[in-house]
Amino acid sequence: MSIRLEGLTKSYGGQPVVKPTTLEIEDGELFVLLGASGSGKSTILRMIAGLTLPDSGRIWLHGRDVTGLDPQQRGIGFVFQNYSIFRHMSVAENIEFPLKIRKAPPSERARRREAILDLIGLGGFGNRFAHQLSGGQQQRVALARALVHEPSVLLLDEPFGALDVKIRSQLRRSLKDIQRQLGVTAILVTHDQEEAFELADRVGLMERGELLEVGRPEELYARPRTLFGATFLGAGTVLVGRARDGSAQLGPLALPIPPEVEHEEDARVRVLFRPEQVEISATSAGVPERGVRLLGQGTIVERSFLGALRRVRVRLPPIPGTRQASPAMYGEEGLLVDVVLPAEEDVGGPDVWVSLRGWHILAPPRPRLLVCDLPDQGSPAPFPLVRGLLEPLNATASLLAVTPDADQVEPLRASLPERAVAQGVPEAEPVVRRGDPAGEIAAEQAQSLYDFLLLNLSGGRDAGILEILLERLATPLLAVQGEPVTFQRILICTAVGEPGKADVRAGGWLARRLGAEATLLHVLTGGEPAPWVKAHMDAGLATLRALEVHARSTLRPARTPIEGILAAAREGDHDLIVLGRHARSPGERSRRDDFTLRILAESGKPVLIVPPDE
Amino acid sequence: MTADRSSRPGRLALLAGAALLLYALWPWLPVPGRAEKPRTVIFYGFSILGEAMTQDVLPAFARRWQERTGERIEFATAFAGSGTVTNQLIMGVPAQCALLSLELDAERLAKAGVIPPGSWRRLPHGGVVNRTPFVLVVRKGNPKGIHDFPDLARPGVQVVHPDPLTSGGANWALLAEYGSAARRSPGREREAGFASLLGVWRNVSAQAASARAARTQFENGFGDVLVTYEQDVVEDAAAGTLPGEVVYPPSTVLSEHTLVVVDRNVDLSERPVLDALVHFLWSEEAQRLFVKRGFRSVEERLNAGNPAFGAIRDPFLVADFGGWNRVKKEIVDGIWKDRVMTEVGK
Amino acid sequence: MIAMIAGRRGAGIPVGILVLVLLPLVLMPIAAVFVFALRGGMDEFWQALKNEDAQFALRFSLLIAFLTAAINAVLGTYAAYVLAKHRFPGEKPLTIAINLPVAIPTVVVGTSLLLLWGPIGLFGKAIEPLGLQPMFKPAGVLLAHLFVTFPYMLGAVKPLLDELEVTYEEAAYTLGAGKWQTFRYVILPALRGGLFSGTLLTFAHSLGEFGATVMVSGNLRLRTQTAPLYIFAQFEAGNVAQANAVAAVLAALSFVIFFFLLRYSGSPKR
Repeated sequence: MSIRLEGLTKSYGGQPVVKPTTLEIEDGELFVLLGASGSGKSTILRMIAGLTLPDSGRIWLHGRDVTGLDPQQRGIGFVFQNYSIFRHMSVAENIEFPLKIRKAPPSERARRREAILDLIGLGGFGNRFAHQLSGGQQQRVALARALVHEPSVLLLDEPFGALDVKIRSQLRRSLKDIQRQLGVTAILVTHDQEEAFELADRVGLMERGELLEVGRPEELYARPRTLFGATFLGAGTVLVGRARDGSAQLGPLALPIPPEVEHEEDARVRVLFRPEQVEISATSAGVPERGVRLLGQGTIVERSFLGALRRVRVRLPPIPGTRQASPAMYGEEGLLVDVVLPAEEDVGGPDVWVSLRGWHILAPPRPRLLVCDLPDQGSPAPFPLVRGLLEPLNATASLLAVTPDADQVEPLRASLPERAVAQGVPEAEPVVRRGDPAGEIAAEQAQSLYDFLLLNLSGGRDAGILEILLERLATPLLAVQGEPVTFQRILICTAVGEPGKADVRAGGWLARRLGAEATLLHVLTGGEPAPWVKAHMDAGLATLRALEVHARSTLRPARTPIEGILAAAREGDHDLIVLGRHARSPGERSRRDDFTLRILAESGKPVLIVPPDE
Repeated sequence: MTADRSSRPGRLALLAGAALLLYALWPWLPVPGRAEKPRTVIFYGFSILGEAMTQDVLPAFARRWQERTGERIEFATAFAGSGTVTNQLIMGVPAQCALLSLELDAERLAKAGVIPPGSWRRLPHGGVVNRTPFVLVVRKGNPKGIHDFPDLARPGVQVVHPDPLTSGGANWALLAEYGSAARRSPGREREAGFASLLGVWRNVSAQAASARAARTQFENGFGDVLVTYEQDVVEDAAAGTLPGEVVYPPSTVLSEHTLVVVDRNVDLSERPVLDALVHFLWSEEAQRLFVKRGFRSVEERLNAGNPAFGAIRDPFLVADFGGWNRVKKEIVDGIWKDRVMTEVGK
Repeated sequence: MIAMIAGRRGAGIPVGILVLVLLPLVLMPIAAVFVFALRGGMDEFWQALKNEDAQFALRFSLLIAFLTAAINAVLGTYAAYVLAKHRFPGEKPLTIAINLPVAIPTVVVGTSLLLLWGPIGLFGKAIEPLGLQPMFKPAGVLLAHLFVTFPYMLGAVKPLLDELEVTYEEAAYTLGAGKWQTFRYVILPALRGGLFSGTLLTFAHSLGEFGATVMVSGNLRLRTQTAPLYIFAQFEAGNVAQANAVAAVLAALSFVIFFFLLRYSGSPKR
């Protein structure tokens, strides 16, 4: 094992730049850290080099713990994007520098210098100075200088970033050759997917300080686990459908989910197909016979010529129950599918049939909780509950603090991670926003994708925040009262208005993960239930059972829905009430919110408020 | 560009620098045979004293002292306008004794706490080491026909004058201009003096910081007449190298030069040397040297020793006008500064 | 192309005007110093120079200039390094404060030093009993010169440091060089041009410094009288020949220094 990182973290000003990262790299491997700028990949490289100190975690190089060592003592070679050739030294002096520092005798220095100059193809350039060399030549010199003292590990930070395309690909090839020849373990950092694929034995994909996926380029390309991986590593279309009977349901099309991909019945499923896995044809005739799946008929909206290949973008009409995750869509109805064909193939069109030769199901995303921490508003984060939920839900949490005071932002940013650690949720990602609490919570939930929003109401002073929040609610909101640690008996109310599915699904999903039992409640305010009520209750029950939740349904007569719900919750000793927020008009929504607030106030129990599906 | 090109300027500059450094350091290098550093006396004086002190009087004393005690002494000296010297002393220069051209400056030192009040009056002759009358220097052949202070007031005459604010000599000159007129008009001294000052100062065309500087200006061609110490010009006049002629006014002031000892800069071991030096300044030997250099001795009989001294019919002293404190208040400030200069400024 | 044509044809008139303007402003006064210094013949010139006071003043000025240049080379480089590498609150005001001596008249610098360190000054009063009194001693002159010339060193070195990439030092670390080795082999050589011109500039300024020196030196001949003070004193005393002889030497030295400056640091090495 050449390089081992264990739980390496780094944050600047309270913002995590590298989240806990563990990684092992084999001897002689060329490992590429790939990510957009600011993803933390360079920080990891600098921590390995000793140029940046990690906040926590350990680094081993060839079995030696170097975490506390200075860069000089680590025996590494480092190549910077800007070369950093010493300008007052000739090429020869630059290359001999590490040998001179190590007090190698002059003859030895000269021998090794000549050898490495030949290796990088700059023999005879020893007397030149940096300004007499091209960018590519300078980078070769930097490489030679980083290798001449035979380091155990070679680190390259965007080494080709400042070069033009042609030289870049030349240099890539010679880098790989040299690395092979010397057998040195190398980590290269780049934002260029093509470069990563061309060079890497393995690629580590980084996003926002997190090492999302690690694998061979082919593997990562064909079978990414994450949406980011799917989109960052080449083109492709990602559609979101639902899991039904072991298949991903995209409208009429059911794509079998391979058994090794975990999924839940009725949960969202993300399907990736690469452009080369898509076929287009003038007719739909004979498609199924070829073993491909027909997606639908669409219109060609864009064609671009790429030399050997031609890229075509097709727009399909909307497919019910299917949403597009990538490529990004702006205000478009319908779906966009990218196709790549041999350039000489006649596309025809504009109307074409689109079918799929292959596909890949992405791993279900870890649910994300947004935990509001507003101690100043009498609403500190419900930490016991968060601790109780994170593991069973396999969720990640963000801890959101809001201050109206610009001066408080930095201190808050500095103290929030400590607070998270002290409260037993060290992995929670701190987020600090400035402004009015309700507005900022709403903005945060809208900007990032969360699955649940947690707000503590025990302080009793933030009904105002809640009211504003309800109006802009896009994510199920768990309004916490009392001091729950987990939920065992969940009451799902479909009592009022048009019953939706979102509330049943959200409540059921929670019940399944927590191993809770669920009760589906409908309050009867007058006489016999309408026939649609019964049908609806049965469908709900079926959904819950499909989720493998222990569930039953109750029809309860009462004078008003509120009375019915409160009585049921009290009698059934439920510890969570789930309410939908379906409404057809603003007026109805406002009545609905009054209703929700009254349930909250009078039950004193936690309530999950679920907005309808869009 | 090669490595060679970059090292060349370094080598050349280094060589030149090393040579310069060696030259600069030479006197301080411990070369065998060089004598120990002798004891040092720090002497400050007003500008015209420079040559008399550094070339004659102080070396003579050093010889006498070595004869008597066997100890070598050396003088560190600085010469500038009397006012400047006084200011430097107040700022704390380490002078051990200073010869000022004006008793008033000694008063200022006393007021600033540099020396005890009146300490110089306990020295021989009330601290006055030597004197020199104020005279006029005109261009060769005296083309403007200047013979006395009133002539300076004639239209078209350009007067070069030291600045009373920085030069002790200039204050003496004011007294000369005022006094000569006042003594001729008994009973209406103040009016006559004021008229005389006003007449002169209307014609002042150049002011210099010290008497010496005023003379340099005159020699460089400024003005028709220079008001200055006799001492400053008498030697050159006798040698014929003065670019002008000396005119003795019938009545003028004998300026008196006051010695002060700055006790706080004299430690116990230096006391005997300082006492000896003070004593020596009034010795016949030193007084003769002053006379040789154009100063008039406080011993009248010694002044015959310099044949170049001209005759003055009615010389007077500052004591005749009540001493410097009164002259400063009534004449320099009261008449010259407040009345003459405001009048001239109009 | 345009520049070439101008260079070939139209340069005569502007260059002529420039020379005409420079002649009375710069060239003739400098020439006059030499002419007057040598007016009495070489013999008199040498006699004037051989004078003990003149010799002392020249040597003293040179010595102070050497010390000033050497000390400021170290201090200036250090200050430039700190200012260029570290970002800290109050960095801007500090930079301005350090450069202030360029903007304020040197006489004022001298006066303020005197008011601070002089025997009646703020600190001077406190250190006087300890026998530490830099003013009116060579140390005082050195202090004033260090103060007045400090910005020149900083100004020559800091731009070079600012230009160095941050990774320059890091590159040396990763190659195995310690902090001192990095400074010695990587940073310092990169600053060579700036150090060279900064040191020469400092030297030249120190050699010619008058305003602050006249305030703090006490102007003692054979003790603290620098060459410019000597020139002034001799001129005031009417000994123009003595003054001119030393002035001519100073002027010649300045020529040599600026020759080096123009010749070798005019084209920045990259």
